[in-house]
Amino acid sequence: MSRMLTLCWKEWRVMFDTPLGYVVATAFLLASGFFFGQNLFLVGQAEMRGYFSVLPLLLLFFIPAMSMRMLADEQREGTFELLATMPVRMLDIVLGKFAAVMLQITVLLALTLVYPLSLSLLGHVDAGQVAASYLAALLLAAAYAGVSLYASSLSSHAIVSYVLGFGMLLGLFLLVQAAATMPPSMQDWILMLSPVRHYQSMLRGVIALDDVVFLSGFAVLFIMLAWFQLERRRWR
Amino acid sequence: MIEAENLTRYYGDMLAVKDLSFRVQCGEVMGLLGPNGAGKSTTMKMLTCYLPPSSGTANIAGVALDRNIEVRRHIGYLPENAPSYSDLDVRTHLRFVGRMHGLPKATLEDRITEMAGVCGLHGVIHRRIDELSKGYRQRVGLAASMLHDPDCLILDEPTTGLDPNQIVEIRHLIRRLAEKKTVLLSSHVLPEVEAACDRMMIIDGGELRAIGTAAELARQGHGGAILHVRLKGGDAVLADVAGAFADVSIDSERDGQIVTAVLRHPDPDVLMAETVFRAAVAHDAVLLELRPETARLEDVFRRMTGKPVAEGQA
Repeated sequence: MSRMLTLCWKEWRVMFDTPLGYVVATAFLLASGFFFGQNLFLVGQAEMRGYFSVLPLLLLFFIPAMSMRMLADEQREGTFELLATMPVRMLDIVLGKFAAVMLQITVLLALTLVYPLSLSLLGHVDAGQVAASYLAALLLAAAYAGVSLYASSLSSHAIVSYVLGFGMLLGLFLLVQAAATMPPSMQDWILMLSPVRHYQSMLRGVIALDDVVFLSGFAVLFIMLAWFQLERRRWR
Repeated sequence: MIEAENLTRYYGDMLAVKDLSFRVQCGEVMGLLGPNGAGKSTTMKMLTCYLPPSSGTANIAGVALDRNIEVRRHIGYLPENAPSYSDLDVRTHLRFVGRMHGLPKATLEDRITEMAGVCGLHGVIHRRIDELSKGYRQRVGLAASMLHDPDCLILDEPTTGLDPNQIVEIRHLIRRLAEKKTVLLSSHVLPEVEAACDRMMIIDGGELRAIGTAAELARQGHGGAILHVRLKGGDAVLADVAGAFADVSIDSERDGQIVTAVLRHPDPDVLMAETVFRAAVAHDAVLLELRPETARLEDVFRRMTGKPVAEGQA
């Protein structure tokens, strides 16, 4: 556990000792601000729903960017060998990296709390619904981070990892859009297996067990895949 | 102590290391020699639990290799090219490595300062690693590998990229450390290994070809004793020597009164020099030169691996 946290701390340091962390954070906050402000000033609605409905798209771009170098760079720089010969289990390495991505996205999402706070000055904000939406956003981020980490374990090039992660997430995202054109018997399955669908269902302010279990299960599945991928490299 | 028994590793169908068994005692520096692709790095990766052996086993400080978390606590490992987190500064990198090895907070900073001193890193401790020269990065890797005070040090080419002064420094450092530790280091710079190691082993094609001290290997390299002799007026002397040793072969050249000869004998421990001296006295010949040839490690290496030496003198 302590080693997992140490790894998470190291990733945090690397993220903010290099421009990447600032670039990603700035871009995310700018985009967030744009979509929130657009809803508030152009549409004239003092509510968070508009922001949360575009958030999956933002995460689609930004989470692969935060995760891309996590495992890819370690393999490219040879530091993976250093890491893997420390007294730490391979699973803890993956979990530490996952925790690092989650820490970053949590901090970024925490910064967007100024939106609901400023809205509460203008009018009534349903605190329960906003809280459920933030929880949904974190769970969706976890599912995306799992996929992106798996993508990062597949290649030793950060850019390739980004494209892989982004591609997988975009595929999942587009599958939902395409569901309408599919035979009705398949539609239900596709919608049930889509992380975004479960996220959207939580935005109503209802924390249903199946949504929570699905999204966290999705993250766990891909963390496992990343773990197997790293172990596989040793046995080849 | 490092004990390896029948270590074997395949990469797919390719055999990288075959049935390698050896033992390194505590307080000993063992050099691992071999041409590129001989299996040096693979051997080290197996000993550090990075790659699982296909078969065979090893004990590190009395712990079997399959208890890998426990084994790793006893090992300080410097991988080839000394990888380190180039985006971090030296102190943060060392702090990370120390924490990952579970060093308590109270002693961590002291250890970092101590190791930075030992490896000559004080001047660059706050610099980012990607700004450092190859030599400094090598030292950062070395400092990181020794931070948790391991029983065994496994160093993959610790002196590549260092200048001659640094090589001497690192060599002294390794010797000093070796008093209390077990050190296994690989290199293909032969004089380097000769100077730094108590014993060495030569591997080629994944197989152990020779193991022993430099002197032992040198004798194996010849496969016999060689004596260079130069005499004035000494045909009878050579005849005497030929009579005294049944297996000796003599190549001689005459230039006026001077005879130059090379005496070869298959037994490396035979004492031909004494016989030559006494024969020269008996026949009143003048002995101008009497020189046993000492095999250089390069010859041994070439003989054992059947290839020219990859990199000669450093």
